[in-house]
Amino acid sequence: MRKLLVNALRWLVFAAAVIILNFPVIATLVTSLKSEAEIMTNASLIIEAPTLDNYAAVFAMADRFDILHFLTNSLVASLIGSVLAIFLAFPAAYAMARFGVGRSWLLPLAVNLRAVPLIIFAIPIYLMYQQVGLLDTRFGLALILCLVNVPLVLVLFASSIADLPLEIEEAGRVDGAGTLRLLIYVVAPMSLNVIAASSVLAFIYSWNEFLFGLMLTTNNATPVSVGASFFFAASGGGVRWGVAAAVMILATLPPLVLGLLMYRQIGRSMTAGAVKG
Amino acid sequence: MPRTSRFEGRLLIAPLTAFLIALLGFPLVLDIIYSVSRVGFENIRAPELIGFSNYAKAVADPEFWAAAWFSLRFGLIVAVIQVVAGLGLAVFLAPLFAKRPWLIAFLMLPMMVAPALVGLMYRLILHEFVGAVPYYLLEWYGDFPAFLGRDWAFTTLVTIETLQWTPFALLILHSSYAAVSPDIREAASLDGARGRRLFLNIDLPLMMPAIGITFFLRFIDSFRVFDNLYTLVGPGAGGSTTSMSIYIYQAFFKVGDIGLAVAASMLLLAASFVVLWVINGLTARKAPL
Repeated sequence: MRKLLVNALRWLVFAAAVIILNFPVIATLVTSLKSEAEIMTNASLIIEAPTLDNYAAVFAMADRFDILHFLTNSLVASLIGSVLAIFLAFPAAYAMARFGVGRSWLLPLAVNLRAVPLIIFAIPIYLMYQQVGLLDTRFGLALILCLVNVPLVLVLFASSIADLPLEIEEAGRVDGAGTLRLLIYVVAPMSLNVIAASSVLAFIYSWNEFLFGLMLTTNNATPVSVGASFFFAASGGGVRWGVAAAVMILATLPPLVLGLLMYRQIGRSMTAGAVKG
Repeated sequence: MPRTSRFEGRLLIAPLTAFLIALLGFPLVLDIIYSVSRVGFENIRAPELIGFSNYAKAVADPEFWAAAWFSLRFGLIVAVIQVVAGLGLAVFLAPLFAKRPWLIAFLMLPMMVAPALVGLMYRLILHEFVGAVPYYLLEWYGDFPAFLGRDWAFTTLVTIETLQWTPFALLILHSSYAAVSPDIREAASLDGARGRRLFLNIDLPLMMPAIGITFFLRFIDSFRVFDNLYTLVGPGAGGSTTSMSIYIYQAFFKVGDIGLAVAASMLLLAASFVVLWVINGLTARKAPL
């Protein structure tokens, strides 16, 4: 009997935690599905007449607030930034794990970088970008997103490659394969899981990055995390809350869906990255 | 090791090293030079060296210390709350997660949302007319506080940060709790340890390294808080919600004082080194999970 009660209590706590922790998203989603009139008269979580009008309104106002432009910027910059981080970190992690090159300085540098507030580098990067014409470009933003992700990705790769069996690589070497060939045809396929998980995690972090998006872009390359905040500035005092809520949900959806689909891999990477880092 | 593989290894780390030098090394040098220079947008290529007066200006600025105090207090408080809440949830809900690991996905979702968007969402849900939180507080208690006013802003921000990142603590502490060997627990229970005593004497000491790491990671991330503060309140509530990151951002973008902003950055970097030094000292001695 007592066991049953404790178990019921566990479910209750779990349900409460899910609702409380996800409350901002739930409440925003609910608001985005209400009509403007209902939002003003009913702030509860119950929707009387659900509607998708707010979503239609977001896409209809492209001349003043182009959400597709912001979403595309986020998508392109995040993809380039994540892929670049993988391409830079994977060979480096292999060199550290197998040849010991850079293990004494590159890995600690990357790990410690996670603890340094990046605002420290933001101002000189802004000035540097201004000189070389990278301000407000998707590629410029992607380079920074890559920088943000390199520490985590490098740590994940370094520890996973060290765990791979050496025999297969040695057999490859006996057959005459060079390092690059081994890396592409042997090590990378064996690491597909960790590469996939790291890519998704890097993509989510890139998508959610804000500070550099705010500082290094003005409009052309503005990511949606920053673009969404423009909506409030553009609306002045009379914010259309339903439309604003729809904007927020659209901006949140990609990482949220990825997170739900890949929770297991992401969870494993996050704990590995945290503990090994 | 054969010479060729060393050479190959260097080739493999070269692209990453070049990238880091370009995007970190060069800016760091600029930071150092600008922090001891008189520099504005007009003489950005030829800054005039003036010694440490930018540092003196930062250290003499009460707002600098207010921001440092805000960040430190904020980071410590939220890290403690998150570790305690995460640990409590991880241990209490462990039997549910053991049978149905996918349940944890629903608790991980807050981490997938951009902190900047979380700030925007709270602008909506704390709004006095259209927000769900004031609505229910009014319904249940007949009143609600001015969430972003001077008296409540700090508490509101602590709550928001805690709600978003407790899942991170939960995730790490859950895997650490699950990794405690059943054999050790069994041996202890044979010796008569049960319930709370088993937890306090066996689980907790074994989880200590993970708890320490979680605490520091949460402290570091919260110390440099920027996104949700910026989108929710900016430097609002009479400057009482200005973190170090916001202070530096404003010194640069709003005031245009590059020297002050950069000097403050260097001081922040020095503070980070202290934290890193402590963390590295702790992790060097940490037991394997």
